[in-house]
Amino acid sequence: MALLELDDVSKAFGSLKAVDGVSFKVEAGEIFGIAGPNGSGKSTLFNIITGIPFGPDRGQIRFDGIAINGKSGHAIARLGLARTFQRETSFDGLTVFENALIGASYGKQEKTAATARNAAAEALEFVGLGSQSFGRLAGELSVFERKCLMLATAVAMQPRMLLLDEPASSLTKPEIETSIGLIRRTAERGITILLIEHVLTFLMSLSQHLLVLNNGRVLAAGDPAGVIADPRVIEAYLGTRRSAA
Amino acid sequence: MTDTTSPITLSHAEAAAPIAPGRTPWKHEAIGFVLGFALLALLPLIFGDTYARHILIMAFIYAIVASNWDLSLGYGGVFNFGHLALFGIGVYAYSLLTKLAAFDPWVALFASGVIATLAAILVTIPILRLKGIYIILVTFGFAQLVMQVIISQSAITGGTQGLVRIPGLYVFDHNMVRDGKSAYFYIALALLVASTLFLRVFVRSRAGASIVALRDNEEYAISRGVSIVRQRMLTLAASAFFTGIAGAFYAAYQRNASIDVFGMSLATIILSMVLLGGTSTIYGAIIASFVLTIFAEWMADFGAWRPMITAVLIIGVMLAYPSGLVGMIKASWGAVAGRIKRPG
Repeated sequence: MALLELDDVSKAFGSLKAVDGVSFKVEAGEIFGIAGPNGSGKSTLFNIITGIPFGPDRGQIRFDGIAINGKSGHAIARLGLARTFQRETSFDGLTVFENALIGASYGKQEKTAATARNAAAEALEFVGLGSQSFGRLAGELSVFERKCLMLATAVAMQPRMLLLDEPASSLTKPEIETSIGLIRRTAERGITILLIEHVLTFLMSLSQHLLVLNNGRVLAAGDPAGVIADPRVIEAYLGTRRSAA
Repeated sequence: MTDTTSPITLSHAEAAAPIAPGRTPWKHEAIGFVLGFALLALLPLIFGDTYARHILIMAFIYAIVASNWDLSLGYGGVFNFGHLALFGIGVYAYSLLTKLAAFDPWVALFASGVIATLAAILVTIPILRLKGIYIILVTFGFAQLVMQVIISQSAITGGTQGLVRIPGLYVFDHNMVRDGKSAYFYIALALLVASTLFLRVFVRSRAGASIVALRDNEEYAISRGVSIVRQRMLTLAASAFFTGIAGAFYAAYQRNASIDVFGMSLATIILSMVLLGGTSTIYGAIIASFVLTIFAEWMADFGAWRPMITAVLIIGVMLAYPSGLVGMIKASWGAVAGRIKRPG
């Protein structure tokens, strides 16, 4: 059984069909990439899977066999489905350690204070935020550090699956390299990863499966090399010969 | 797939980091807490006259109400403009329980805290899906509603006339009237200590961090498993208990109740205490309550000028120190410490 399963999922804003009849399956343990030009519905897809801030209008979403469409955002998170946000996000009024402690404490069932503190410390060390940065206010961190912290708060939840929304956006080349390594090591912890990116090279270097969205619909899906070679995908990204000319 | 789950051993992270890295250690805070309140407990030795003690008792009551408001407004970011209604509910719950139901005053005092807490939980329901200004509207409406109910039920509540001859508190056979207000002084101080202890333990707990997380970024907090319904209710309920008790104590101390407690002027005074002190500190609201209450007394001779001078001073402090009195204290402490440390 697939870990995450979407069946004919749709979401419209007025007359705009942001996500239109999307179906796919993510198997446990893989890194599954979703590509698509800006405005193709990638982030909306993440929003409706996680119920933050809304679920789908139509269709079924099952996580680990449980129907999650209609469940509230925090309940979905507690089932073990974590996400990050496209923009670097943090709880600015809390310290780095407290940020991670939130994920550790509220992520999955109730944890004792000591267990939660251990999980938070471990997750921070994992992303490279060592104990010397634990006491800093999150609002004082750099963009890259905040992105790492956002990953740490997700890892501290000890989720089964992690949805990463454009982890490479607004990062420098060396930071992107570090991120790729970090995502690989996150997957090696046994966390299944669903990854949105519009930088194709980033996706290609990580994903075992690739899906391309365009105008809210699945354009192509399957083995990354095959998907990239698909003429419809090339057209969506680059336009046709005629319109390009 | 080497080194998959290798958790960097926690003992090492734990050993390197204090309990709450970046925050004042518990021990230091406890020392400051005990010293500060011990100092307050000695005040009756300096101020023997009942009027000065009355001012201090009022400052303690305001400090409880303001610091509890800081929990919901400062830490929680919930614009609860019905906070004074919770205080008013405490006033009337105590008055009615003691006068009509003949409750023991101490039982009524505690029950008033519980009733205010239940009222806070009730008011949370309509504001769960609201943000910012809409929360102000609903909570303000709630305060008006409570006041109108009290006015309309004048047979029981005394309506606009209020209630008089409310039973006061007692301490064994101690004479509460002819002791220069020292019993009421120490009861008020004990309530402030209990309230402050409760608030500080709460804001330093994981639940306290979670309400700040919701304030800073609601969607992000939800994505980390924080329930907005549960934590919002917890925020308002936690800020209501001692507020209700403060209202009950106020009724017991004044021996009368009036709908003035629902008025804008009291709400404005308490709000300026919260903001002047510096939000999200608890201590700031308490310090500002003392400063403003005592300042208002000093200025008594200025009559109608008094509120204007106070307002100008508040604006002055807030312009110079946007984080309020606590920011001012921190800055001056930093300057002093810097001078001491600087060699030569």
